[in-house]
Amino acid sequence: MRLGGAQLLDSREILPGQWLQAYLAPDLVAGARAGQFVHVRTGDYSGLVLRRPFSYNTIDPLAGTLTIHFRTVGRGTAWFTQLRPGDRIDMLGPLGRPFEVDPRSRHLLLVAGGLGIAGVRALADEAIRDGRQVTLLFGAATAREVYPSSLLPDEVEYVVATDDGSVGHHGFVTDLVPEYEAWADQAFACGPLPMLRTLSNLAATRRQRLGVASLGRKRGAGRPLAPGSPQARKKAFLQVSMEQNMGCAVGACLGCVVMTTSGTPQRVCREGPVFAAEEIAWEGGW
Amino acid sequence: MKARRRVVTGSAASVKRRPTVRKIKPAIAPVARRASSSASAGSAATARSAASAAARPEPSLPAAPIDLAVDLGRGLVLGNPILVASGTFGYGIEYGDVVDVQRLGAICCKGTTLRPRIGNPTPRVTETPGGMLNSIGLQNPGVDAVVEKYASTWAGWQVPVIVNVAGESIGDYVEVVRRLDGVPGVAGIELNISCPNVGAGGIQFAIDANAAGAVTAAVRRATDLPLLVKLSPNVADVRPIARAIADGGADALTAVNTLSGIAVAPSRARPLLGNVYGGLSGPAIKPVALRIVYEVTQVVDIPVIAIGGVAELADVLDYLAVGAVAAQVGTAIFADPGLPVRLIGELADECRGRGLDSYRPLIGTALPKRAAPPSARGVEYRP
Repeated sequence: MRLGGAQLLDSREILPGQWLQAYLAPDLVAGARAGQFVHVRTGDYSGLVLRRPFSYNTIDPLAGTLTIHFRTVGRGTAWFTQLRPGDRIDMLGPLGRPFEVDPRSRHLLLVAGGLGIAGVRALADEAIRDGRQVTLLFGAATAREVYPSSLLPDEVEYVVATDDGSVGHHGFVTDLVPEYEAWADQAFACGPLPMLRTLSNLAATRRQRLGVASLGRKRGAGRPLAPGSPQARKKAFLQVSMEQNMGCAVGACLGCVVMTTSGTPQRVCREGPVFAAEEIAWEGGW
Repeated sequence: MKARRRVVTGSAASVKRRPTVRKIKPAIAPVARRASSSASAGSAATARSAASAAARPEPSLPAAPIDLAVDLGRGLVLGNPILVASGTFGYGIEYGDVVDVQRLGAICCKGTTLRPRIGNPTPRVTETPGGMLNSIGLQNPGVDAVVEKYASTWAGWQVPVIVNVAGESIGDYVEVVRRLDGVPGVAGIELNISCPNVGAGGIQFAIDANAAGAVTAAVRRATDLPLLVKLSPNVADVRPIARAIADGGADALTAVNTLSGIAVAPSRARPLLGNVYGGLSGPAIKPVALRIVYEVTQVVDIPVIAIGGVAELADVLDYLAVGAVAAQVGTAIFADPGLPVRLIGELADECRGRGLDSYRPLIGTALPKRAAPPSARGVEYRP
């Protein structure tokens, strides 16, 4: 975790109300991995007292640049759209635990709902760099909100679903999953809670339905993996990036927790934002 | 009186700070170096102010030692009057990568209860104009786990850690404090009395002078640790409550806790926070906190630590002017983790700029000149 300056290089409205911004921030890029996030300070403390968390949308370690992708939902996000190239802002990062890909996984299924694309986008780059095959299933309300394929690496197979059927599959993105789940070695998802819950239900019954082997330990090797540990997550078929209102983003305020099956709330900013789907208590449980 | 004298030997603790001083020494002008070696009490402050002076383009005056020490009683002497507020700084380790926590006046840790608590349903925090609402619900692993996990780390620190204690009954408070009493690394207790008293119909201790006084007295009997009690702003008149707490044997008061509030979900279908009610903090509450500090410092003769919307040096100076001896930084840490440490240097610079060798002349300058009985003016404007 480092506190560093970031200089805006480029700011574009890629979709109505959705912005893509590139920052030069070598301190924040070094060592950052897909699934982690930065906590960014707005310049207006008198009104906006909290930083804003953004996933690393893309990470370029050689150039020292990162991009963030966000929707303007309030005064905070609107403030970021007012920035001009050359402006400097203050970022805290890299924060949280990244996606963990099992070294044996060849085929990765990425599932994104709407702005959830920002959570898994960097993983596509990482996976292709490591020579894996990537299919990205993307769901949006209408064609107007579909993430432009030109912003994805050429190697990614990109499948779109829209709620109104204006492009691609007519229905939810989760409808597309059964077609790919046998192909996929692991799946990674980010998006609205109902989407993640549906995916989790699919993943939970996957072994029985498909008769596939789960990525387990070598026979007889050591102690069982501690739930929630990076090693255990590495073996999980479905990993989800969770969202929650956030305060400090370093684990101090306990504002951004999710309830887990262990009965103890876990911090999205510290133990997350990436969790194995089976760690999350999807029905709450408070 | 004897305790006070031990305080002087306690300032040998600041001699321990010398390694920090040495690290920064190259930045100090020769004059300042002599001064810092002669006056050990102010040496840390010297190093800080010299470092911040070096960071500025034009170093104004040669750094003189400024006495920033705060005596909160019972031997709890802080190196400077800038604390970090409970709930915003975890257990002191979370911000370790980006903040030099050892330079803080003190750390008030996350609220601690007798048994583990999972806290409230989410969402737990939301931003509001100039502030934020939180309803964490005192999530914590319980006093035994806190002691086991963190106390040995705290014991190795030079910064005092004040454990914030919450409970649902007087018995709870007493038991938690008993388990903290004598634990190395625990420098003091801050009582969060803005909790419902389950045994008395769920009325908060903090809104009833009798209950507030009773819980303070009970805890006082259970420990010799320095005892701070945190006042709630959600009362009609805080003065009788402050007096009751002081009479109960508290060593200092903290003013104030968050203001009760709610927010509505964007769908307008329900309140936003999982627990409906949250506590408002941040710059938005500063005028209210300032008013309460102003009232309390005139009716009690124990030190008052101000808290509420501190975001810059001017806020600290305002609180000192109305009689607080120290200030806690809370919500502002989330946006600017370096703020508390920076304020220490800025306060020393401020004193230097005014030709003072201590920050104490800044305390109480805005209070009424005569020590008159507390005024009733302003009461009619209260909600």
